[in-house]
Amino acid sequence: MSAAIANNLLDTPESRFPLDLGIRIPRIRELYRLATASQWDPQKAVPWEDLHPERYTDEQRYAARLYWSRRAWGEYGAISESPALQIRFCQQKHEPDLRFFFTLRTQEESRHAEVCYLMAEHLGGYIDGPVQTAFQGSVATHGVRKMALDLGIPLEATIASLVCAAEEIAFDVFGHLIKITKNPVARRALKLIMRDEVRHCAFGWAYMEKRVRELTPEQLKGVEEAVVIMIEKVEMNGYHSAWLGPDTPATRSETAADRITYEAGLGATVEEVEKPVFVASVKRIREQMKPWGFTLKQFTHPKIEGAF
Amino acid sequence: MTAQVAAQDPQVRRARRRRADPLVERRFPLHLEPHIQTIRGLYHQAKSAHWDPEKHIPWAKFDRSQYTPEQLRAAALSWSRRAWTEYGGLPETPAILIRFCLEHSGESDPKMFLTVRGSEEAWHTECCWRFADLVGGYIDRPANAEYSRLFNQDFHREAFEPGISVDAYIAVHSAILDGLDLELNRGFLRQATDPVIGTILKRMVQDKERHVAFGWIYLGERASAWTEAQRAEIAAEIDQALEGLLLSGAICAWLAPDGIARDIVEADGITREAGLGAMHVMEEREIVLQFLAEAREHLARLGVTIADIRDRIHLSG
Repeated sequence: MSAAIANNLLDTPESRFPLDLGIRIPRIRELYRLATASQWDPQKAVPWEDLHPERYTDEQRYAARLYWSRRAWGEYGAISESPALQIRFCQQKHEPDLRFFFTLRTQEESRHAEVCYLMAEHLGGYIDGPVQTAFQGSVATHGVRKMALDLGIPLEATIASLVCAAEEIAFDVFGHLIKITKNPVARRALKLIMRDEVRHCAFGWAYMEKRVRELTPEQLKGVEEAVVIMIEKVEMNGYHSAWLGPDTPATRSETAADRITYEAGLGATVEEVEKPVFVASVKRIREQMKPWGFTLKQFTHPKIEGAF
Repeated sequence: MTAQVAAQDPQVRRARRRRADPLVERRFPLHLEPHIQTIRGLYHQAKSAHWDPEKHIPWAKFDRSQYTPEQLRAAALSWSRRAWTEYGGLPETPAILIRFCLEHSGESDPKMFLTVRGSEEAWHTECCWRFADLVGGYIDRPANAEYSRLFNQDFHREAFEPGISVDAYIAVHSAILDGLDLELNRGFLRQATDPVIGTILKRMVQDKERHVAFGWIYLGERASAWTEAQRAEIAAEIDQALEGLLLSGAICAWLAPDGIARDIVEADGITREAGLGAMHVMEEREIVLQFLAEAREHLARLGVTIADIRDRIHLSG
């Protein structure tokens, strides 16, 4: 068996016992309980009749369909990839609270994909892929499944990069979107998603708070590197915000659609108003991670003036 | 060698699995529209039927004084064992969910349904664990090491194996294993007189009914496109599962060989008499036999012929 194969979680046979199911991280168990108590149904929780797509032009509806479809593709990543973390929690016997919480989290991601899909549908029809295939690279994957199954990558690195970095940025952008989105249905959909995302982010920080004290300097370095990669190679490649992607005809087409959607008040944002939110988010994450024992590097991006 | 015989040969099965191409996801086109309406309906039903173990189970109403210490000890073991079994879904469901996502042009309905199933399995596990704790203390492993090994089933790894088709996996796990589990839980519910246990089992049975319906609906949708080889594969995987999981005693403790799960069987008998949600061996045996007969008929209607193992069940335990 090669080293590469032996390093994959799926090559490790199950060893179920002892099976601890007790409360080991009370804050995360509480998040699981809150999630259980806070379920909602995209079909019923959104007043779809208030959307009034007829009040928008064809161009606006098409742009918004594209925007909400892209949101759905992003949410789908958490259905297709993040459940691998659940397998890791189980197979490596991580705290039971993580295993319970993540089952709910996966269901929530499904609700998010569904509500975004429904928004696109109500606006005229969901679009099942980027119009320009060149944009697929930006939105196809955030690489979490691979990370979760790779035993060479510490779990803490995956949680820190996926949750404390990527989801934290998404959370701030949601807050910003809710402020600028005028359509009440679009705003309601965003609010419902954000309500779940609060718990997703809290989960990451609660887990890291417990684990970070137990990490070696080398492991901590791995965490830092994973966060940097997530910000530089995924977020700044346009995974969540198209304008951050490489300047290609495909990206320009996506950002043009975002601008039309934003101006229509149907949910998107644009470079000039999102930029300070993104920068502030990265700065906040850097501050929040300082107690872990490292300071994230300064980042640069061709569309953002100066290092941040 | 017929397709059926070839599919059952362990060496042929291993070789087939090795030959299979690795699974590579192609995310787009990403279908999120309803395709299998009945499964999308189950997903919507599941969202509407959501419940909360904290709120909907009247934990505080459990009256220990109604039971002897022996009954409470027995129930703690019976329900610990139930937690060990229910827990199997926590790594398995995310694995089969990802597998659906890796399949090209896969419908979204099964994926969405499975995300809710995962939550329900967590609630079931929590309830079993919590009740075991309430009656006398959750026990975190079987007393017998050989019996404990039966629980290491590696379903999550199997779900990722490209050599096993999704259809065969769903046939084994959702239609057969979940189906049998549902019937056993219905039996536990029929015998339960304690109101707390009754509420837990009622909730679990309601969820499990959807889990099993998912399996049969999915197979029904797919069956018309199966080739003879695919039917043979499905039959072989079911036969293998019944041999390795049911007849081994992993599902029904009284089928475990050499008395390795005698403590569980005895505890279940006492728990049953106390009305705390278990069954005697004879009662379980009847349910298993009836289920196998019905499942064979159901599969036959889909063109899948599985071995008849009922004589071996009659002679066991």
